[in-house]
Amino acid sequence: MTDEKSPNKGFRLDDPAFIRGLTQPRLTRRGVLGAGAMGMAALAMPRFAHADSGAMPIPLDAKWEKWWKQQKPTKELVFANWPYYIDVTDDGKKHPSLDNFTKATGIDVKYLETIQGNAPFYAKIAPVLKSGQSIGNDIIVMTNTWQLTELMMQDFLVPLWQEKLPNFFKNASPSVISPDYDKGNKYTVTWQSGMTGIAYNPKLTGREITSFEDLWDPKFAGHVGMMSDLTELGSAAMLKLGIDPAKSTPEDWKKAAAILEDQKKKGIVRQYYDQSYITALENGDTWITQAWSGDVFQAHAKGFKDLKFIVPKEGVMLWHDNMMIPKGAKNPLSALEWMNFYYTAETAGLIEDYVNYICPVPSAQAYIKDVIKDADVADSPLVFPTKEMYAKTHDFYTFKSFDEYQAWQSTFSPVVQG
Amino acid sequence: MSATESRAARLRGLGRGAAPYLLSLPSWAYLTAFFVVPMAAMLSMSLATGNPITGYVFSWNFAEFGRAVSQYDTQLLRSFGYGALSTFITLVLTYPVAYWIAFYGGRHKGTFLFLILLPFFVSFVIRTLAWQFILADQGFLFGTLKQLHILPERFYLLSSTTAVIGGLVYNSVAYYILPLYVALEKIDRRVVRAAGDLYASPVATFWKVILPLSAPGIFAGFLLVFVTNVGDFVNAAVLGGPGTTMIGNIIQYNFFDAQNYPMAATLSSILMFLLIVCIYVYARIFGAEQIQEYAA
Amino acid sequence: MPDSQRMDVRLSNVTKSYGTVTAVDDLSLVIESGEFFSLLGSSGCGKTTTLSMVGGFQEPTSGQIYLGGTDVSRLPPYKRDVNTVFQSYALFPHLTVAENVAFGLKRKKVAKSEIAGRVAEILRLVDLNGFEDRKPALLSGGQQQRVALARALVNRPKLLLLDEPLGALDLKLRKQMQIELKRIQSEVGITFLYVTHDQEEAIVMSDRLAVMSNGKIEQVGPPDQVYDRPATEFVAGFLGASNMMWGEVHAESGAMLAVRLEDGVEIAVPKSAAEGHGKRLRLGVRPEKIAVLPMSEPVGEGWNVLSGAITLNVYTGIGHQYTVRDPVGRDFAVYVQNTQAARGPALGEAVQIAWRAEHTFVVTPSQQG
Repeated sequence: MTDEKSPNKGFRLDDPAFIRGLTQPRLTRRGVLGAGAMGMAALAMPRFAHADSGAMPIPLDAKWEKWWKQQKPTKELVFANWPYYIDVTDDGKKHPSLDNFTKATGIDVKYLETIQGNAPFYAKIAPVLKSGQSIGNDIIVMTNTWQLTELMMQDFLVPLWQEKLPNFFKNASPSVISPDYDKGNKYTVTWQSGMTGIAYNPKLTGREITSFEDLWDPKFAGHVGMMSDLTELGSAAMLKLGIDPAKSTPEDWKKAAAILEDQKKKGIVRQYYDQSYITALENGDTWITQAWSGDVFQAHAKGFKDLKFIVPKEGVMLWHDNMMIPKGAKNPLSALEWMNFYYTAETAGLIEDYVNYICPVPSAQAYIKDVIKDADVADSPLVFPTKEMYAKTHDFYTFKSFDEYQAWQSTFSPVVQG
Repeated sequence: MSATESRAARLRGLGRGAAPYLLSLPSWAYLTAFFVVPMAAMLSMSLATGNPITGYVFSWNFAEFGRAVSQYDTQLLRSFGYGALSTFITLVLTYPVAYWIAFYGGRHKGTFLFLILLPFFVSFVIRTLAWQFILADQGFLFGTLKQLHILPERFYLLSSTTAVIGGLVYNSVAYYILPLYVALEKIDRRVVRAAGDLYASPVATFWKVILPLSAPGIFAGFLLVFVTNVGDFVNAAVLGGPGTTMIGNIIQYNFFDAQNYPMAATLSSILMFLLIVCIYVYARIFGAEQIQEYAA
Repeated sequence: MPDSQRMDVRLSNVTKSYGTVTAVDDLSLVIESGEFFSLLGSSGCGKTTTLSMVGGFQEPTSGQIYLGGTDVSRLPPYKRDVNTVFQSYALFPHLTVAENVAFGLKRKKVAKSEIAGRVAEILRLVDLNGFEDRKPALLSGGQQQRVALARALVNRPKLLLLDEPLGALDLKLRKQMQIELKRIQSEVGITFLYVTHDQEEAIVMSDRLAVMSNGKIEQVGPPDQVYDRPATEFVAGFLGASNMMWGEVHAESGAMLAVRLEDGVEIAVPKSAAEGHGKRLRLGVRPEKIAVLPMSEPVGEGWNVLSGAITLNVYTGIGHQYTVRDPVGRDFAVYVQNTQAARGPALGEAVQIAWRAEHTFVVTPSQQG
C-alpha cells in the first residue's frame, strides 16, 4: 500500500475497511478475484514461475554482527501492521498464519493494526526513536516512500542479519530483491507489493481506457480523479510524459507539474483524493481515476461490478510495503524468525489468499492453487504478475536527501493546494 | 500571648491569606502545562531552521513568516472568507430554529433540542463522510433528479466551494444553536410583552428587543463557530475540490508530509494571531461591554 | 348609566376558559373615563386575566371588550391605545431610562423633537430627571417602578393598566408611591385600571373598585360604599374584618326592622340594607363600629346592644383589639381607638358591646347557616 493513508490534503479518510464498515459487514476477500473483469485479458501471459535470482546474504559489519550475536532468543514478537492486511478467520478473531508460526517456534505474536499512514506513523515514532527509546514494536511495515528513506537516514533501523533469512533468498520474487530504496535488503524485506494504474467506469466514460492520456481528456472534465499523494500524482504525470519516475530529474518534475497544473486549470480534475477516490468512483463522482489495484477488488466485492482496473500502455507504478526492525526492538531474533517464516509458499500463500495484493513469494502461487485450491487468486495476474507485466512496472523515485524530497514536494504541492 | 502562640497565629493568618492563591494552583499548573508550554514550543519552532534529518534548531529566523504569507496568502484569505461566510449562514439558519424552540417549544423544548443535537452524537468525520454518499453525482438524490431531467447530467456539488461551506455550516449547527437557545430562553417574556404593549409590532419587537437581548448568544456562537471553521480541514478535504484548500489543510500538510515543522508552526501562529485580531475587532464593533451589561 | 355618556372601557359578558377551568366567568363591567378603577381579589380570582384581556395579551373565549366604543377584543396589544405597567416593571435591560421611555413613541413614529420633549416632561413628572442615561439594572426598585410608569404614561394612552405595580416595593416606599400614583393620575387625567390583592391599597387609591372572586365580580362601587355596605359575605370578609350573625325579621317599625338573633336578642337593622334578602338575614358589623361599655353604663336610643365577656385583649398602639364572647359563644372582634385616658376593660370582665343600628349591614351569605 503506498502512502494513501497520509493524504496531504488533510484529514485521513484512509482506512478502506472503515468506509466499507459504514456500508456493509466485513467480507472475506476469498473469491473476489473471480469476476475476471479486470481488463487484464491482454496481459494474461505465461507465468513467471521461478524466482531464484541468485542473490546472496550480505554480511553485517562488525558492530552489528556483535550486536546480533549478543541477542538472546525470546518467546515474544510485537508486530505492527496496517489494518486488514493479514489473513483472518471468519469470526475475525484469529490469524492462522500467526498461529502456525507460534506452533512452529513457540513465539507468541502480539499483532497490532496501528499503522494508518506512513507520514503520521513516522511523525509518531520519530521523536521516540530520536530520543533513543523503544517504540515497543519489533516489526513495523512501511511503504517505499520518503519516510522509509528517512528511517534509514536517521539510523532508526536495525540492519537485518541476513544469514537468518535463508527463505528470503530462496523464495523471494526478483521484484523485491535489492530494491533501489534499500540496496541489498539491508534493512527491509517486502510484505506486499501493489500497483497504481487507472480505474474507470465504462458506463460513464463511454469508451475503453488504455492510457494516462485519458486522464487529461477534456471530455471527462470534472470527473477525473487524481491522487492527493504527491508521489503518486507526480509519477502519473511522468508516465504520461514517457519519463521513468525512478530516473527522473527535477527538470522532469517541473514538466510533470506543468501538465498537472494545466489539467487542473482546464477543469478536468474533479478532486485530488486520498483513499476516498474509490468511493468517488463507486458513487459516479469520478468516471476515471488513478487507482490502486487492491481497491478495485474491494469495489467488485461490494457490488460495483462495472468498474475496471487497467495497466495503461505507458506502464504502472509498483510500490512495496516492507517489514523492518526499529531500533530498541526487544525481540529482534523473533522478528527475523517471522520474516523467514513468512517467505515460504505456505505462509505467504495463506496470507496472500486473503490479502490479494502482489505476493512477494512466487512459489505461493502453486500452494494457493493446489493446496488452498483457490484458482481465482492463484491465476490472477494482479497477485502473481507475469514477466510482461513486471516489464511494465516502474518504481518510485528514491529520494537521496531531504532537500530532494522537499524539492519534489514543493514542485507538486501547489498543484493540489492551489 | 507567648511568642510561639503569636507566631502560630501569624502563620495561620498567612495561610488564610495564601489560601486563594494555593487553591488557584491547579489552574495555573493546567494553563502552564497545556497552554503556555505548547504555545512557547510552537512560537519557538516557528523561528527555527534546519531539516528533519539534521533536526530543527531555534535561530530567530523570522523569514518563515514572510514565506508563509507570500506562499499561502490565498489559503489564508480563503479560510477567513469561508469561516466568516459559513458562520454567518449558520447564524441565519439556526436563529429561527433556536427562536422557535425557545419561544414556542413549550413542554417539548428539551425534546426538540435533543432531536437537533442527535446527529451530532455521531462522529464528526462520519457525518461529513455521509455527505459524500448523499451528494454523490449518481447517488440516490442527484441520480434521481438527473433521471427526471430536473438536473443536467453533468451537474455536481461535491468538490466545490459550495460543498465545503455547506459542510462547515452543517457541522456548526449545534455549536450555534445551543448558545442562541440559551440566550433566547433567558429573555424575560414579560419584557417581550412590554414591547407589544408599547406599540411594537412583532417585527419591531424582534429587531428592537429580542435580537439585542440575544446578542450574548450571537456573540458566543460566533466565537465558537468562526474560530473552529477558519481552522477546519476536514470539510475541505472531504467535500472540497481543486481550489478549496484551507489553511488547516496546509498546516497538516506541512507537519505530516513536508515535515516542515517551522512552516507548520509559523502558519499556526499566524492563524492564531489573525483570529485574535478578528475577535478583538469584532468585540470592539459589537461591544463586549454591552454584552457584560446584559448579563448584569 | 346612560348610553350617550362616553365609556372608556366596557367588558361585556367576557369569559376566559383554559380547558375545563374558567378563569373569568361571564364578566361585565364599565369603567368610566378618567376613573381610577381597581380590580381587587386574591390570587387566582381572575383579576390579572381580566387585565390581560383588556391589554390584549390574551383573547377572551367569549364576550367583547370595548375601548372608547370600539370592539378591541381580538386586537393585538400593539394595536390598542392602552399601556401597561407590569408587576415586574419589565424594563428593557439593554436600553437607557430615556430610551425605555421613548420606546413607545418611537414605535408610534412620533417626531424626534417631540419625543425628546415628552420624555423630559414625563421624567420630571415621575421625578427621574437626571437618570436619563442610566441602564435599568443600576436603578433602585422604586426608581424602576417610576420608569415603568413613565414609559407607559408618556404615550398618553386612553387607558393605563397597572398590574400590582407596587407589589415588589417595601411598605414605606409603597405608601409613598400610592400617594404619588394618585397625584400623577389626577394630573394626567388618564383612566387607570389597577389590579391589586391589597384591599387597603385599593381603598386608598380607587375612585371605584370591583371585588372579584372565582372569576366573577362580587361587588362594584366606591370604596366607602363597598366597605360599609358589602354586598356579599365574601366581600365583607375580604375587605377588612366583620362580625357576622344570623337573624330573623319579626317586626317592622318605620325605617327599621326588628331582627331577632338566634339567641333571642333583638336588634334593629335598617330596612334599606335588608331589601331583597327575605326574612332570614346574614348580618354583619365592622369591629371599629362597636363600642365596649361597662355593664352599668346605660345605652342610648338607636344602638344595638349585646353583652359578653372579654376573652382577648391586644394592645396595638393606636388602640385595643378585643374579642368579646357573648353568652351563646359568638365571638365579636372590636377595635377601640386609643383616645381614652382611663384604662379599658380587663380580661374576663363582663361588658356590653354596642353599635349604631344603621351600621348593621346585610349580605348575601356564602352558605346557609
